[in-house]
Amino acid sequence: MPDLIAPLIPGDVRHRLKALTLVARRAIGDRGLGLHTSRARGSGLEFAAYRPYEPGDEPRQIDWKLYGRSDRFFVREAERESPVALWILLDASASMAQADARAPGYARLDAAKGLTAALAELALAQGDRFALATLSADAFDLIPAAGGTRQRDRLHHALQALGAAGGFPAEATLAPLWDRIGARDLVGIVSDWFDPACLDLATRLAAAGREVLALQVLTVTERDFDLDGGYRFRDPETGEELLGDAAALRAEFLARFAAAQATLAAAWHAAGIRHARLVLDEPLDTPLQALFGRVAR
Amino acid sequence: MNLLFPLGLAALAALALPLLLHLARRTEQRPTDFAALRWLRQKPRPRHRPRFDERLLLAARLALLAVIALVLALPVLTGTDTARAVVAVAPGAAVPPADGARQVWLAPGFPSVTAPRPAGPVPVASLIRQLDAELPPGAALTVVVPRILDGADAERPRVARRIAWRIVGEGLSPPRVPPPALPVLRYDPTVAGARYVGAALRALGQRDIAPRSAPIPRSRPLVWLAPGALPAAAIAQAEAGNIVLVARETTIPASPTVAVWRDADGAALVEAQPLGRGRLLRFTRRLAPAAMPQLLDPDFPHRLAALFAAAEPDPARVLADAYAPQPGAPAPLPPARPLWPMLAVAAALLFLVERWLATRAVRGPAP
Repeated sequence: MPDLIAPLIPGDVRHRLKALTLVARRAIGDRGLGLHTSRARGSGLEFAAYRPYEPGDEPRQIDWKLYGRSDRFFVREAERESPVALWILLDASASMAQADARAPGYARLDAAKGLTAALAELALAQGDRFALATLSADAFDLIPAAGGTRQRDRLHHALQALGAAGGFPAEATLAPLWDRIGARDLVGIVSDWFDPACLDLATRLAAAGREVLALQVLTVTERDFDLDGGYRFRDPETGEELLGDAAALRAEFLARFAAAQATLAAAWHAAGIRHARLVLDEPLDTPLQALFGRVAR
Repeated sequence: MNLLFPLGLAALAALALPLLLHLARRTEQRPTDFAALRWLRQKPRPRHRPRFDERLLLAARLALLAVIALVLALPVLTGTDTARAVVAVAPGAAVPPADGARQVWLAPGFPSVTAPRPAGPVPVASLIRQLDAELPPGAALTVVVPRILDGADAERPRVARRIAWRIVGEGLSPPRVPPPALPVLRYDPTVAGARYVGAALRALGQRDIAPRSAPIPRSRPLVWLAPGALPAAAIAQAEAGNIVLVARETTIPASPTVAVWRDADGAALVEAQPLGRGRLLRFTRRLAPAAMPQLLDPDFPHRLAALFAAAEPDPARVLADAYAPQPGAPAPLPPARPLWPMLAVAAALLFLVERWLATRAVRGPAP
């Protein structure tokens, strides 16, 4: 069966993800069970498996409907919920739609979706709950935290339908987030981090005890500014335009952009935010390897 | 280098065409989404420096057009001839011993003295002026002439350079002028005055006097004294270059005439009109002593013979030392060698180069 929809995670990246573990610095050893014990099965909300009845099991755990069909006792088991959820905040403002001229089919948002799916895959692999919030003034949306493959399907479904439009959402729009993100949750923000509101949100989350991962997605043009000739540059969010000759603008843009990135990195560092960068010509798991790979640990 | 047609350089305006074709399209502004716009500083518009694509091809095209414009302007190269001394020897003078200078006969085409001496009269004065005009300005010119010079004209040659005028040799004897041929006489007895004319011709020595029925000899002047139309043979005689004298009663083709013999009162006695290459003369009066008393004059035979004499040539013999060329002519334009054939070949080569550059498989980045 041909792939009608391109997979969010390329095969090689999916393979390399197996070597990674999502680790929250503050959560390790925090509640006894820890992040990696969530494989322990027991009662819970999320169905995991049926298991034949053994003496000692509580009678209320027996699935009586199944007994009616099969004339055997089966105990319904559920996964125990992990104490830590991974919240993925995906920036879906218009600036995320930007793509490089040499690869117009691979926009910043596509890479961000891939990163989101990879993060969800990591969380799923180690049994953590995960949630998605798409940050856009036009399409602010939430998928509440849950675990399991169905949650992954919900997330993929939401991602495939997602498009980038509008600006970064206002603070009032983001109020539901504060209710839902648990006090010790891991928050990964996938964005280009150009909007100061994004950094503001991250620093406040970090200050409120959430562990924040800053995942920055940049285009090749922003890193190298490899343009030549006359251009009419247009900011997709403000609509502001600028006419200029790319060659004449290059040196100063690179200097100013590097300075801005240094300022941003300093702000992350001050807020205790771990950060990693993905440029569109790099493999999708580059920031994940930097954050969770063997070298990083 | 001079241009014979400087207006041809207006074709240089065509140089703008390849320049326009190769001008990189700078004015185009590609719209681009760029989220990091806030770090792009609005600079004053960059100075518009025209940039060109495919410089090599552009250079070939410009060179091609420039050479074509130059060909249209007809360039000539002047002053390229070596200023070698020239010794011109007039026919009749002794050829001086060779001393390294170019020695030519003073004859049309200026053949070298190793060629045989040109025969016949040559217009020496005109040739001296031509030689002076054609030689490069620095070339020394020596003219060797005999003591008595043939071929002079009405003015001493006026030349732009100093000419060494050497007189060597005596010169040629004057050409013998043949005596004028006497006309034959054909007459009709009804023309009364024929006997006067016949007597005059006999006195001059002409024996061929016969009635009109006698044949007319070819290539001889003729006196035809008969009424009626001039016979075709006589007309053919005149058209072949001879002189035919007819009586007043003879009918001849109408044509403008001039008087060639007038009496003492100025009235015309004989009129002439051209006919073919020859001439047709006609008595205007009846040939009777009452109408034309000159018939009885003792010098009538000589006057009659003078009608048939050839025109005297212009005097052309001078003493050479009185005919030395005088300076003062305006300096002639130096002789020029045309350059445009070579340039046309260069244009053809450039065209081939341009075609090769424009059609080769690997071209530079397309504009």
